[in-house]
Amino acid sequence: MVAVQYYLLLSGAIFCIGLFGILTRRNALFFLMSVELMLNAANINLVAFSFQYGNLTGQVFSLFITALAAAEVAVGIGIILVLYRNFGDVDVTKATTLRW
Amino acid sequence: MSVAEASTTAFAFEVAPAIAVLPLASFVIALFAGKYFPKKGALAGVTATGGSLLLSLWVMLTVAGGAYYNEEIYTLVSTPESFDLHFGVLLDPLSALMLVIVSLVSFLVHVFSLGYMNDEGERGLPRYYAGLGLFSFSMLAFVFADNLFMSFVFFELVGLCSWLLIGHWYREDAPPSAAKKAFLVTRFGDYFFLIGVVAVFATFGTATFAGSESFPVLAEEALTDGGAGGELSTFGLGAQTWFTVLGFLILGGVIGKSAQFPLHTWLPDAMEGPTPVSALIHAATMVAAGVYLVARMYGFYALSPTALAVIAFVGGFTALFAASMAVVKRDVKQVLAYSTISQYGYMMLGLGAGGYVAAVFHLMTHAFFKALLFLGAGAVIIAMHHRQDMWEMGGLREKLPVTYYTFLAGSLALAGIVPFAGFWSKDEVLYEALVHGLTDPLLLVAYLMGLIAVFFTGFYTFRMVLLTFHGEPRTHTARNPHLPGWNVKFPLVVLGILATVIGLTNMTPVAEATGLEIEFLHTWLEHGIEGLNSEHYGELLETVAGYSAAELSPLLAAALSLALALGGAGLAYSLYSGDRPDRHTDRLGDARTLLMNNYYQDEYQVWIAETFGTGVARLSDRFDQSIVDGAVNGVSSVSLFSGGRIRRIQTGIVSNYATLLTLGLVALLLVVGLTGGWFL
Amino acid sequence: MVISASLVTWFSGPTLQTAPPIGDWVALTPVLLLGLTALILFVIDSIDPDDASNTPALAGTAAVGTVLALGAAVVLLAAGIGQGQGGALRLYGGQLIVDGMALFFTVIFTSVATLVIVASYDYLADRVYQAEYYMLILLAATGMTLMAAAGSLATVFISLELASLPSYALVAFLKDNRGSVEAGLKYFLIGALSSAIFAYGISLVYGATGRLGLDAIAQQLSGGTQLVGILGVGVLMVAGGFAFKTASVPFHFWAPAAYEGAPAPVSAFLSSASKAAGFVVAFRVFAVAFSPDAVAASVDWTLAFWLLAAVTMTIGNFAAATQDKVKRMLAYSSVGHAGYVLIGLAALNAGQNGLVLGASMIHLLVYGFMNTGAFLFVALAEHWEIGRTFEDYNGLGTQAPIACVAMSVFMFSLAGLPVGGGFMSKYFILVGAVGTGHFVLAALLLINSALSLYYYSRVVRSLWFEDPADSLSIDGYPVGLYAAVIGAAVITFLLLPGIFLASDVATSAASALFA
Repeated sequence: MVAVQYYLLLSGAIFCIGLFGILTRRNALFFLMSVELMLNAANINLVAFSFQYGNLTGQVFSLFITALAAAEVAVGIGIILVLYRNFGDVDVTKATTLRW
Repeated sequence: MSVAEASTTAFAFEVAPAIAVLPLASFVIALFAGKYFPKKGALAGVTATGGSLLLSLWVMLTVAGGAYYNEEIYTLVSTPESFDLHFGVLLDPLSALMLVIVSLVSFLVHVFSLGYMNDEGERGLPRYYAGLGLFSFSMLAFVFADNLFMSFVFFELVGLCSWLLIGHWYREDAPPSAAKKAFLVTRFGDYFFLIGVVAVFATFGTATFAGSESFPVLAEEALTDGGAGGELSTFGLGAQTWFTVLGFLILGGVIGKSAQFPLHTWLPDAMEGPTPVSALIHAATMVAAGVYLVARMYGFYALSPTALAVIAFVGGFTALFAASMAVVKRDVKQVLAYSTISQYGYMMLGLGAGGYVAAVFHLMTHAFFKALLFLGAGAVIIAMHHRQDMWEMGGLREKLPVTYYTFLAGSLALAGIVPFAGFWSKDEVLYEALVHGLTDPLLLVAYLMGLIAVFFTGFYTFRMVLLTFHGEPRTHTARNPHLPGWNVKFPLVVLGILATVIGLTNMTPVAEATGLEIEFLHTWLEHGIEGLNSEHYGELLETVAGYSAAELSPLLAAALSLALALGGAGLAYSLYSGDRPDRHTDRLGDARTLLMNNYYQDEYQVWIAETFGTGVARLSDRFDQSIVDGAVNGVSSVSLFSGGRIRRIQTGIVSNYATLLTLGLVALLLVVGLTGGWFL
Repeated sequence: MVISASLVTWFSGPTLQTAPPIGDWVALTPVLLLGLTALILFVIDSIDPDDASNTPALAGTAAVGTVLALGAAVVLLAAGIGQGQGGALRLYGGQLIVDGMALFFTVIFTSVATLVIVASYDYLADRVYQAEYYMLILLAATGMTLMAAAGSLATVFISLELASLPSYALVAFLKDNRGSVEAGLKYFLIGALSSAIFAYGISLVYGATGRLGLDAIAQQLSGGTQLVGILGVGVLMVAGGFAFKTASVPFHFWAPAAYEGAPAPVSAFLSSASKAAGFVVAFRVFAVAFSPDAVAASVDWTLAFWLLAAVTMTIGNFAAATQDKVKRMLAYSSVGHAGYVLIGLAALNAGQNGLVLGASMIHLLVYGFMNTGAFLFVALAEHWEIGRTFEDYNGLGTQAPIACVAMSVFMFSLAGLPVGGGFMSKYFILVGAVGTGHFVLAALLLINSALSLYYYSRVVRSLWFEDPADSLSIDGYPVGLYAAVIGAAVITFLLLPGIFLASDVATSAASALFA
């Protein structure tokens, strides 16, 4: 059995990769994907610890997170769509009319 | 004491706050509904102060029964271990006596105002009665205040009322400027008082007057036990030195309010207010606030011989200085104004010389006879159709007999002619100053000044009486005076009787000569709350301040001052008694000019204000412009600038937000993690 | 106090000391009513998709739903459900908790939602997709009421997303308006990032304790834990999720943009109700699960909230002071107010927990009305199309005096002057901060309040003391917007004398968390 700290390392790495993507990528879709990575890092933790503690709470919750991630993407895609219509681009750094 | 007695006793004290609240109610009524009442709020004021008077008498009787009261009634701020700000009620012989004096004078002044203001068709009456009500409220609450903070609050309110009432006729030129002057000059003193209050809090952690945790007691313990002094923070000074500094700071407020040299200049100008106001606040009560405050915390001043000596010296000097100026005045109210300053000088002299009872005695008698004199002057002014120059009067004796005889009683009391009130009290003040002064040269000088002032007092008093009431009428108005009504005469008669007989309550020389136990005021002030009575003060004066009294018969001193007073009166009589008195003071030449101009006090203060003041003002203006304004502008522009900077963080680029967000979270993790020791 | 006590006796009968036993669904009536109304709107829209014709029906249905939910919440609160000796109602295995705090905040959410819906009737006139708009508001409100009642980290996360996802869509509701879309995008992106951080935080807390239920976590933590680092990072990440919802620094970056770009009623809804929702869930999670007694030694999250409170109120107010647009000023002031409320969390370590948390709850209640009202006034201004800057509001007092009086009440109450409940609630917070020895926070609160007076009074000055521009003219007095603005103003004002009705409920509800 793989010790739980390795799962923790894995999830931490994935979380950081996702975060890195968010900080560096300008395309809104990449942004969404990076968020997915971060959420899935949480899922890895939940499943791993669920196994560790021997209760199902974590696994069930990870299903909820997956479902919510899908709902989030749906809303996100909608917003990105109107972003493209209004600004002609999906670059998140282009929309800067509201500042200061 | 039986149960029934105990419960009534408690009840008298329970309702004691109403003594102050009733005039407050009349203030509200007069202010908001005064114009709908037939007498424009006067009746509310009369009723309220009458009620206060009855309640005060009840409290006094209860106190006479040997009960005292010292309770918090409302806590503003209370932080454990540091200090608390609260309002409370302290009822002991001193405050009970003062409550009766204030409410009585206030009541009579309200009645008198019916004649002086209503019958004369003055305008703005609701405002006037509201001011009187608020003043009575503030003064009464000041009297029963149980701590220095509360005293300060109501001290300031009293000052505010004074400003309102002096400036009552605000459409004329002089009253508003006099009001401003009174406000500013007393305020100048009050700054010191305020610092003193804060310093008292910082030193003792409390500002209550009475009880085992009160600041005079703590200070006393610090000096007598020695050990307790270490717990008090005296800011690096010796305990006694620091207490002296505190005493001086609070004395600043006293000197301002009680019109002592050099902050006395506001009082004569304050005569621009309506005469009943002058009687109430600039003679009998407000000015008394300063002296009363010293008496209230006498246990604290008794610890500092330096502060006492300064009080005595200032008092003696003021007594002489003001009396000399009163000699040449033409305006009857001006004479009275300077006599007021002079008389308060005596009280300060008494307090400073260790004559606590004597000073309180003089405070009491003076309240009555000076209120009487002012109201009498008011009656004369009514009669003279609001002329105040004594040279336009004369011969009013026949036309205004009631006014004349009561005024004469007040004058005899003021001049200190036996057996009128002022004789007994002034004499006792001088006696105390003399017996303590024989061992302390500074006090002796103060005493001598006070003694010489007696001569001047006798002179100017009778000059005033003779010019006003005797001789031939000098003007048409004086021949056909306006006759006052009952509401003018009634207060005069009441006060006239009091001015005549009140001194009999404490005839020290007679007691000494006959061995009778008739010093009622001494007995009255001897009992009281532990550590708050004249007996204790006497011990403190001897043990801590090192006062010692020489053996001397009071009869000798009394005879001396009586002789001087009679001398002054006699001189006045010989100069001004004829049908057509000459303007003898004109012969004083330059001296008269000097006196007429009040020793150029105003001028020198203006000069100081202008040279130093302008210099300081210019400096402070520059300071204000560059540093304060700079600081304020700086703060606001720094605020706006940093605000501008802060909003610049909001670049509008969402990636930057994500970065800052992440950095913020990491910073938070680091801080909490380091303090929580996660990384160890 | 007396009145509320007598209400309680009236509802619960003279003899009952504890709440009567009731079914689960009764305790959840407000939540169910809100969700049901959203579904009814969906049905109406499916049957008759023509927005123009059924505008009154849509707005009316939505308003009736929120009013009923409000009424239900008030009745439950007054009846003492989940309060008193019986303790909180734990439903569905402790996943949902109905207690005084949940009901108190439900009252806030439903009140704000009612005001916003009433105001939206005029604001949305002649726009398409109205049914969806009301539905989204109701769904978000449902999510918020669930947040108030969430009893485990799982329900916390789900209800938080249920509140968030409709909000993203609502902010971007004006699809053809670049500002609205940009605001929606930023809100969504920061929100997605925050919820990812939040989820990861939950997973770490789960890793440290093996539980998701709040009580269960508390139980585990009371015995101490070896995984302090994991727990600590998890706790702070969870705090980050709440900081996003409450628009606290450094998770506040979306707020100015979202509030400025969104339709003004939506700004009102988000800045008042959504913020309150973030706070209620934070209160519950941190007071119950990460109880300061158990974890303060290793994970001193009160320190974190101390820092957040200090920075949030300072940045919010300083940035607000330099704004030119009223709406954006209000957005930053909303950040500042989050900082004031955070004091309640920062002071949870000094044995006065019920008091300080109660003060924060009261402030959120008052803020719910005054801030909603202020944003709705901006909605009114947008409706009149008079412009967005302070100067554009010049002399509006001559044209619309009643609304301007209301706005003045909001501004002064927000600044903490005694013309509205904001004075008392801010005072309570100040007392709480001083009483728990947080003098720096108290001083910052005072400084920032002084600064806020500057920019709030700018609005009042513009309204009343500046001369109107020649072109200033307003067309009509929309009934719905006016009703909402005036209603909010009246309640804000009444909360000044009536604050004690709420303060007792709030403090006892807050104290119950620590019982």
